[in-house]
This record gives sequence, C-alpha cells and structure tokens, in this order.
Amino acid sequence: MTQSEWIPSGVDISVPSMARTYDYMLGGGHNFAVDRAVGEQIEAAMPGLRNAARVNRAFLARVVRYMVDQGVRQFLDVGSGIPTVGNVHEVAQAEAPECRVLYVDRDPVAVAHSELMLVGNDNAAVVQADMREPEAILGSDEARRLLDFDQPIGLLMLLMLHWVPDSSDPRGLLGRYRDALPSGSFLAITHVTADHQGENLAEATDVIKRSKSPDQVNLRSHAEVMGLFEGYELVEPGLVGCGEWRPTGPADIAAEPGMNMLVYAGVGRKP
Amino acid sequence: MPTPSRRPEATPPPERGRELLARKWSYLLSGAVVVPLTRDELDREMGEQLDELCRAVHAESSAESASNRSIEQLGQRLVALGYVGEDGLRVTLEVLGKGLLALPEFQPVERYAQRIVSTLGALSAGFLAASRRAVFEQQESMQLSLLKAVRDAQWNLKESEARFEEVATSSASGILVVDLAARIVRANAAIGEILGYTTEELTGFSLLELVHPDSVKILGEAMRALVDGGQERIRQPQRLLRKDGDVARISLTVSLLRGADEQSGHFVAVIEDGTELMLLQSELNRQALHDVATGLPNRQYFTTYLESALRRADPVRGISLFHLDIDAFGMVCNSLGRKTGERLLVHVAQRLRAVMAREKAMIARFDGDEFAILVENTATTPDVGSTVAEINRELSEPVYLDDHGLAVSVSVGVVRRPPSDWEPANVMRAAEQALRRAKSGRRGQWELFHPGQDEAERRAETLAVAMPGAWEHGEIGVRYQPVGELAGGALVGVAARLHWDRGEDSLDHSACVELAERTGLILSLGEWQLATVCGQVGWWSQSARFTAPLYVGLTRHQSCDGDLVRRVRRALDDTGLDASRLTVGMPVGVLAESDAVDNLTVLAELGVGTSLDDFGLGPDDLAMASELPIKSVWVARRLVERQARGEAEYLADLVSLVRRTGAHVLVDGVETAEQAEWWRAAWAVAGTGAFFGPVTPAGEFPITG
Repeated sequence: MTQSEWIPSGVDISVPSMARTYDYMLGGGHNFAVDRAVGEQIEAAMPGLRNAARVNRAFLARVVRYMVDQGVRQFLDVGSGIPTVGNVHEVAQAEAPECRVLYVDRDPVAVAHSELMLVGNDNAAVVQADMREPEAILGSDEARRLLDFDQPIGLLMLLMLHWVPDSSDPRGLLGRYRDALPSGSFLAITHVTADHQGENLAEATDVIKRSKSPDQVNLRSHAEVMGLFEGYELVEPGLVGCGEWRPTGPADIAAEPGMNMLVYAGVGRKP
Repeated sequence: MPTPSRRPEATPPPERGRELLARKWSYLLSGAVVVPLTRDELDREMGEQLDELCRAVHAESSAESASNRSIEQLGQRLVALGYVGEDGLRVTLEVLGKGLLALPEFQPVERYAQRIVSTLGALSAGFLAASRRAVFEQQESMQLSLLKAVRDAQWNLKESEARFEEVATSSASGILVVDLAARIVRANAAIGEILGYTTEELTGFSLLELVHPDSVKILGEAMRALVDGGQERIRQPQRLLRKDGDVARISLTVSLLRGADEQSGHFVAVIEDGTELMLLQSELNRQALHDVATGLPNRQYFTTYLESALRRADPVRGISLFHLDIDAFGMVCNSLGRKTGERLLVHVAQRLRAVMAREKAMIARFDGDEFAILVENTATTPDVGSTVAEINRELSEPVYLDDHGLAVSVSVGVVRRPPSDWEPANVMRAAEQALRRAKSGRRGQWELFHPGQDEAERRAETLAVAMPGAWEHGEIGVRYQPVGELAGGALVGVAARLHWDRGEDSLDHSACVELAERTGLILSLGEWQLATVCGQVGWWSQSARFTAPLYVGLTRHQSCDGDLVRRVRRALDDTGLDASRLTVGMPVGVLAESDAVDNLTVLAELGVGTSLDDFGLGPDDLAMASELPIKSVWVARRLVERQARGEAEYLADLVSLVRRTGAHVLVDGVETAEQAEWWRAAWAVAGTGAFFGPVTPAGEFPITG
C-alpha cells in the first residue's frame, strides 16, 4: 500500500473519518463516536450544514439520473465513502437495471462496508485505492470486468476533490482519467468553496484540522473548480451552487440560501 | 386499493383532500429527509401511506389492536424510505396532525379526533421502534465492516503490524488481536481507553481475565467453537472489567483469522462501547417522550422520571406530585373549537412553566386536558397550597385566543412526599384519586393525598383547629359592609362579613371563611352568621325603615350542603325577614356541581335572591349567569384589581354581556371615585369597598346611608 502518508503514524484514538461524518450529517448510523463529535462541532460552526449534506446527496441522485438519461450505463464513483441512502448503483439500476458501477475509496472500513453491501450484485464492485493512482484504478481487475472503455462512462468526483491538495496536482490527475475515457463520457464534480461563506467555513475547516483527521479541506474558488473541467464541455447550467443545478423540488434545495452555495456542482461532457 | 370510505353521507369524495394532503406531506418530507426516491415516486409512496392511515382511522373502532399493529408497520415503512430521522417524524406529525383533522371524511371532527390521535401515536411508536432498530443495524454493520477491514488486511503478526495500525488506529472501536490461547497479542488505543489500560499493559493479558467472571465460561466455549469451525463469528453483549474495577458494558464481536499455513491463527475481537449506542438512542427517544402540541414531556417520560426522582429524593423534603385537570376544558372546545382548545393547552403549558420556573420541577402533559408536575422539594419550595394558588392565579389572568378572552382554573390532586419505595404507578394513582376528589368539589380546588405537615400548613391547621373554641368564646363576630350605588354612592344594600378578633391581631372575612372551610366549621358558623345578620337587618327594617337587600356570600362547602335550603329557611322563619330581602351568593365555580345548582334553584323558587360570586371570565361563567335564575353577579375581586391597574378594558364587554342575561353587576373592592365611575360607565350597578365605607360592627353601620 502506498497510502501511508494519508494515515497518521501515531497511535491516536480520536481519528474521525470524513466519510462516516458525512453519513452522520445525513442522519445515518454508519459512524462512530469520534465521527459524530466532529459532525456536531462542524455543524455548530456552520448551522444548516446538514442541509448542505442532504442537498449534495440529492445532487448525486439527480446527476446519475441525468447521465442515464444521456445514455450512460457505466459509472466510476471515486471517493464513494460509506454507502448510504441512494447510492449510485441503486439510483442508476433503478433507472436502467443493466447499469454497472465501480466504487473507489481509500478508507479500508468504507471499502469493507461497500463490499458487504454489494454481495450478490454482479454489476457493482468496490476497489480500495487512492484517487491519485488513476492507472491502478482504471487497470484494476474490477474496472476491467465492469467498465467498457469504448462506451461512455460517468465519472463522479463528489465532495472528493477538496480533499486533494494542489501539491498533488488534481488538474493533472483528472487529465489522466479524462484521457482514459471515451468521447461522450461525463464528469460530475461537487466541491466545497469559500466564495460565499468565508468566515463560518474557516471555523468549520478548523474543526476538521483540529480533529487530526487524515482528510483536510482545500477550498477552491469558482475559477479554480472550473479549471478541473479542463477538456470537458460544461452542460447547462454550468458550475453553480449545488442547489441550483437543475433542482426538481424541496429535496434539492436547502432552506438556508448559503447552504445551496457552499458546494459548487457541475457536469462536463467529453467531446 | 378499495375505497376506504363507505360512509353513506353525501360528503365529497375523500380522494381530492387526501391527494392534496399526501402531496403536502411528500413535499415537506422531501425537504427534511434523505431518501432515494424521485419526487413522483415519493408522492405516490406518501399517497399510499396516507390511504393506509385513513383506512386505519376508519377501522380503528372495530378492531383496534389489529389496526394499531398495521399502523406501527406503516411507521416501519416510513423509516425504510431512507434516512428519515427525527426531522422526518416531526414533519409527518405536523402535517398529519393538522391535515387529518381537516379532511372532509373525518368530519365531524369530534367523532374522529381521538382515533386520529391514537393512529398518529401508533405511527410514531412504530416509527421510533423501527428507527432505533435501523440505527442499531447500521451500527452493527459498521462493526462488521471494521472487522472485515482488519481481516482483509491479511493480518500477520510479523509482517503486517503497520496494516493493523492503519485499520485499528482509525477506529474508535476497540480492536484486540488474541492468540488461540486467548492471550492478547495486540490492542489498539480505543480498547485501552474503554478499559482504562495502556495498550502495552493489555498485551499479555488473557482476554478471559478481562471478561466478567459470569460469562468467562460461555465466551471460552464460544471461542473454542470458532476454532472447531462450528461457528463463524461470536457476537454478544459483554461486560468487561476496567482497570479501576468498574464494569464496562460493551458489545463484543470475535472472529477467527487463520494464518497462512492454515494451522496457526488468531482471533480478532471488535469491542464497541455500549454507552455510545445508548447515547444515539436517547435522541430518538426524545421524540417518543414528548407531547407534540405543547413540547412537554408525555406521560411515559414523566413516569420514568418519577421513578428516578423518587429514588434520589431528599429524604426529608421529598417530592410533590401534582395532577392537574383544566376545569371546563370540554366547554372551551365545544364552544370555541378544538383549535382554540389546543392553543389553550399550549398557553397553560407556558404558564405552568412560568410558575414552576424557580423549582426543580418537571411538567408533563398527560392525555387531553391533564397535566402533571413533579417537584423535587427544597428548603425554598412553597407549600402545596401556595403553589396551587399561584398556578390558579397565573391561569386566571385572561389570555386572548382567537378574540376570546379566556381565563381558566385547574383542579389539582396532590401527593406530597410519597415514600421513596413506592412504585411510580402507585404515586400516579394516588394523585389521580386526589384529583378525582378535588373535581368532586367537596373541599375546594385541590386535594392533598398525603396530609400536610410542613410549617405553614401546620400553622394554618392550628388556627383552623382553634376556630371552634374562638367562636365559642365570642372572638368571632359578624360585621357589616355597605353596598353603595356606583352612581352617587347611595346605600343600596348591606353585605354580611365575618371577623375574628385575636387580641393582638385579627383575621378578616376571607381568612375566616377559608379556615372555616377547611375544617367544615363553615356549615355551623355560616348558619349562625346567617341567623345573626337576618335578625339584625330585620331590626334595622323596623327601627329605621331600612329596606335595602342583604347579601350573604356562601363558600363552596356551604353551597353544596344538602341542608342549605333548610338552614336558610330556618334563619328567615326565626327572624321574620322576608325572603326577598336576602340575596345568597355562591362562588360561580361551584355551580358545575349539581348539588349547588339544586340548592340555588330551590332558593330562587323560595323567593330568595341569588348571585354568582367571584364571577370571572371562565367560559362557563357567562353560561351559568344565563342558565340559572340569577339576580346579580359579583365581579371577582382580582378582576376589579386588574381594572384598577388599567389592564382590563375588556371588562366593560363582560359587564354588558352579563347585563344581557338580566342580572345586575356588582363590584367588590371599589376604593376610589375613578373606579366607581369606570364601573358605572360600564353599566355595573353597585359595589362594596373602601370607597363606600368600611366593614363595621352592627352598631357603627350607617343604616341611613
């Protein structure tokens, strides 16, 4: 394994996982005490954050349905986290049962959990790997089994890229994924931004910093997130607040206006 | 799906109302929960669930338990939609609580309200049970995932310690690697934390040494079964021994890791701190334990709390339990509607909170219009009588609900200092018994289950006990108070009063009456007073052509007294006073009881004037004034005081309403010309109080005005 730099070396009991904290924010029970404690603190810093989490989850369902609608039948969900309500394969396979989904996460517990959940589903699998190893992911046995690189693929990087620091060159990494995907493929990104929420957000990210979680937030501006779509053509309505991306009802929008703008959402199509 | 409504009335078809309600439910729900359904799918789902609910409401009377079960299953179905949680339940209860009551198929609402409430109750119960189960299952599945992650790391003692660290350190669950002889080889920080050891200390321990002695044998056998292959995994609640000797309640999952050579191997044990699960549950419980309308704890919560309060109660001061019932609540609902009734409940809840703010007290709402208060007594806790008086004083301040000024009172059953070994159910039953007695009205608005013994109570009782002797010795006498015309102040009547001269101090009329009421002395004392004043007024008639009426106020006890009519007749007969000269007043609150109504009616037939005393804004007060043969009403003194403080302009409306019933309005406690003028302008007729002259002995009474 090459991810030792992601894992704290000291023996430390209070190591929350952002994947499990996210599950807690959504109202799930797939989490431990440290995760819940961090979740409470973050929400104290940014009241309404639960709604932002809920809205992001709603975006996932929307974007998967959109891609299925566009003819996509295979998905690569990088940074899939703890399987929770309305996972990609559930949404996609409800629309078109032949849809195939490959999940990727680096957290061994999230991966173990996904495996347990996917037992018996031949059209979905999980790979434990780091986002920064595109070739390892794209070349894995599971990827070869599930993904046909001659057909459009829906690549999902939801609430994922802000965990990747600039020093890891996220743009370059995305380029390597893009090059492997055929024309007609889609990339969906949701990414936390400080453009609209400055102060509160700094407090919330401080909580994560203090929690010694291996995951640390890298906030990016609208222009910077736009840069991540290099080589893709953004579909309507472009890169917007998560709640503003083709909402269909109250499930897609948070009551607090700021929470709709906390996360940028966008979908690009590879020409 | 069959149409649930088979009622023959020509009501509009239920589908439209239901459809709208289901859409509203779905709409609000979707903004509060995380579910994988599209909007249309959720609309359809909520439509089906609503149909089920409505069917259950219709069916409930016929097969209650069966339909409750199906509704509880509906609660499970709601949970199964996704992450619905407390927000989802709150939205559901808010939407359905209002919406079902308004559906055309559930009119008249009185007939269905109870069923709707119990249906929603069953829905909540099912929801909570399922929600709790879901959280447990999720937690368990996380534990399994953790275990799997450890196994997948292909743990090998020599080569892969780092991998163990990776998985184990990022876990808040305890993880132990145990060899086949049950010796701990490896421990993570979390288990150290749970047990109070360092990880180094734990290494070398036998797992069985850490387990509570009671379960060593069972666990040992189960671990052997793992090795033999008879079992795949052990999962059980366990008690582990902490370093400090305490017991840690945990849930333990153990599975076997076979080594590469298939011979050697190790156990991996995942230990989840049980208290964590409890904490998670508590949030869910909060929903189940509170009344939706008022936000107060419900009966179930109250009972549980009572149990622990009994146990930890101060051995000397103990606890007090008040069981309250709003008087004439049904009348409020019938005349002003259920909505107003509900708002009144919320209002009462707020006022109760205000009254009890200084005490360590829990206030709960029971069913319907019943509340309960549990007070953990301290040195500064007021006595029971004062507390009840304070509650009723607070509630008597009118509140405006939908343009109706309402002032309510409560009847209260009290249990004071129940023995700490009593079952909560017994304490509750005792309070309820006391409440029933209080409601029967024999001895006032509240009733003590456990006789009082604290200081103030004792003093009052001492006085009450001394009263018959004082009366005998002539310390208690009759006094007279002028009743003056508001316009001009002319003497238009005389009010009979009591007075207790105790040498250094004296007790006025209301104090005397209250003490005498306590012991029942009021019956004979009152009869004597009546005879005395009738005689006196008769004499004034002869000697000074005094023709104004005599007002005698009765207590609750007197009003209900089966001998009242006989006593009044004898007083009139003995003194020769004409019945028309006497007006007997009863506290308006007592007329909820048929004995009092009978007495009043018979007296009116005899030609005796009747009045309603302590007349206020209770919704039944006006009803009483119009239904009973009343000559006059005495406005409650507290209202007069409010007016004097400039707080009650609406009282003028009250007066005009009373006048419409044909009764005169009289006012007690008029102290200034301004007050007299205000009440005159409001069409009240006469009054008593300092402005019209003091309470005096017969010899000093200004019979000539």
